[in-house]
Amino acid sequence: MSSPLDKPQIISHFQKSLNYTVFDSKWIPCSAKFVCLGNYARGTGVMQIYEVQQGEAQLIKEQEFPKPIKCGTFGATSLQQRHLATGDFGGNLNIWNLEVPGTPVFSVKAHKEIINSIDGVGGLGIGDGAPEIVTGSRDGTVKVWDTRQKDSPVANMEPGEGETKRDCWTVALGHAFNDQDRCVCAGYDNGDIKLFDLRNMSLRWETNIKNGVCCVEFDRKDINMNKLVATSLEGKFHVFDMRTQHPTKGFSSVSEKAHNEYPSQRSKTDSDDLAVGVAGSVTLLQNATLSTQPIASLDWSPDKKGLCVCSGFDQTVRVLIVTKLSQV
Amino acid sequence: MPLIVTDYSWTQTDSTVFISVPLKGARAERVDFLSTEEYLKVHYPPYLFEAFLSEPVDEDRSTAKVGNGVAVITLPKCSNAFWEHLVITTYDKEKKKEVRERALLKYQERLCSESRSKAEKQQAEKKYALETMMKLEKEERDRIVKRKEDEREKTTAELAAWQLRQRQTAETEAKLKLQDQRDRQNKLKAPTEKQEKGCSDGAKVKLDERGNSEATSQKTPALLPAPRRAANIQVRFTPRVFPTALRESRVPEEEEWLQKQAEARRAGNADVEELKDLREEERNPEWLKDKGDKCFASGDFLGAVNAYNLAIRLHSKIPALYSNRAACHLKLKNLHKAIEDASQALDLLTPAVPANAAARARASVRRGSAFCQLQLYAEGLQDYQAALKLDPHNAALQADTQTIRDILQGSATGTH
Repeated sequence: MSSPLDKPQIISHFQKSLNYTVFDSKWIPCSAKFVCLGNYARGTGVMQIYEVQQGEAQLIKEQEFPKPIKCGTFGATSLQQRHLATGDFGGNLNIWNLEVPGTPVFSVKAHKEIINSIDGVGGLGIGDGAPEIVTGSRDGTVKVWDTRQKDSPVANMEPGEGETKRDCWTVALGHAFNDQDRCVCAGYDNGDIKLFDLRNMSLRWETNIKNGVCCVEFDRKDINMNKLVATSLEGKFHVFDMRTQHPTKGFSSVSEKAHNEYPSQRSKTDSDDLAVGVAGSVTLLQNATLSTQPIASLDWSPDKKGLCVCSGFDQTVRVLIVTKLSQV
Repeated sequence: MPLIVTDYSWTQTDSTVFISVPLKGARAERVDFLSTEEYLKVHYPPYLFEAFLSEPVDEDRSTAKVGNGVAVITLPKCSNAFWEHLVITTYDKEKKKEVRERALLKYQERLCSESRSKAEKQQAEKKYALETMMKLEKEERDRIVKRKEDEREKTTAELAAWQLRQRQTAETEAKLKLQDQRDRQNKLKAPTEKQEKGCSDGAKVKLDERGNSEATSQKTPALLPAPRRAANIQVRFTPRVFPTALRESRVPEEEEWLQKQAEARRAGNADVEELKDLREEERNPEWLKDKGDKCFASGDFLGAVNAYNLAIRLHSKIPALYSNRAACHLKLKNLHKAIEDASQALDLLTPAVPANAAARARASVRRGSAFCQLQLYAEGLQDYQAALKLDPHNAALQADTQTIRDILQGSATGTH
């Protein structure tokens, strides 16, 4: 009887029903507030800021925008400023000061089509180096922006002239353990995952996981890249061990349909005496069904362990508590 | 007829009668007892012992024990009296029968009621068991729910406390800042007052600057590295024919579809012998059309005609092939063939939509010019006018139409 309750439990703290489609929800660092991004049925974008008070969410601020907002990140902002970088359906990258959400602090037309995914690094006291924002769009390009350089991106990963383009569905930054090193990982709808090295401005590794890539994320952005998880269509996910790169085989991975255990030997030498990573195994800790509709986004609170906010296509945003994470 | 047993023996006490009946070798299971308060029957085929008791006995407490070849029946008396005889002797046959029947009925009733009460008891027990099970499970569930609730409340409380602390620190920070500002203002005020007496603006400005630089030096954090030097990285994607996202489960369907498309583009006439000699690309009408166009552009009209012929043989419904072949024939002065091909092209372009207007215009022009070269100027003019309707802004076309009109009028006036 005690063992089922010793596993981490997913408890629904509360949920809030909204009157718009919410695409993304993120915690505001150093606070008990979170922001929801989405679009109204009339086709305009909306940003709402809620505060968690006594077991429910109070709406603090609301702002409407001409274009629906798809994604947002706090990754590239300082802890004092806490500006939100958003990408919208028109391909615009905007950075907002949440105290004054009417006019953006920084705005650029980043892409020709909708920005599907955005990520930031170098802010919030995590990692060294300049704050940078990466955006991935349906026009097949991935661009890295520095807010001090408004007119052109710092890096642009685009298909060659005359090449067919595929939608980029997700981007993630990682490997930011010193001032110069950065890596951008991008996932596309034809199953490609590409890893770009911003220090050498080159493609470091690419692979195809045979299903459109929904989301990629590094386990921690500010260390020498360790693990990369990529989730895809058909309910599959892959975990790559990023410490050992084989010249031809790339990074080793383990994939599961739907506690990453490291093997005792993380790398071994193969027939050519080149180091090959050894992927471990993953175990399911807990699962919970919260809604009949897909959950589009989930964000862990950077301040309170186990607290997370998730939003789904049932127009509901939920705050969950996950217990016993320290035992994992 | 059963054998009546008569060699039984009986004893009695004040409260009980004991009857012992020899079993004469019968097995214990085969002995059948029937007892009521006035009648006792022991039946073990072929033997039968019955006793019409002289006094009533308590049938509920009567017992029988079978063992050692003898059945001992214990009958507690209803009233503690001494029995002269065990059995009533003065019963006639009728009476005996009556008593027997009564006894049988009574016995059956007793058995019925016994079984009924047993069934009821069983049901009651089952119900009780079920209820206790449900209660236990409910308790378990409640326990889990309570633990979750506790966890939830704990987290809420922690969150509230943390928020409170945040607010307090924010307030103290704000107060400190305010204090700081006030201090700085006071500091600035004192020297500026002094300088005002000396009235030099430059000094005031300098002091203000110093005040500002103090403030800014507190604000500027560690210097950030400069933005990277911009660069482009070219990427190439794993090729994919379909614009939709790749899904493993759909791959077999997609492959099938592509194969069917490829087959449909190939030869319809698979029975033509020469086609077997052709290379893969020469079976593709599009490739042949390209080849024909290139030949036409470079002046090799016969080669172009050959290419178009083969393409038409492969796929006879592409209007562009006929139209282009008409152009080749025009150049080769095969005017009748040109007219045929142009007509065929126009036929194939029958749904007259804006999409094929350009193609129709071209085909009409070619046919028109073929007619004119055959000196059938009336038909030629018709075609040119049709082309002009489709493409009214083409100056060359307008000029040509005018020429033909003139020629017609000239010939009309010339011949009468």
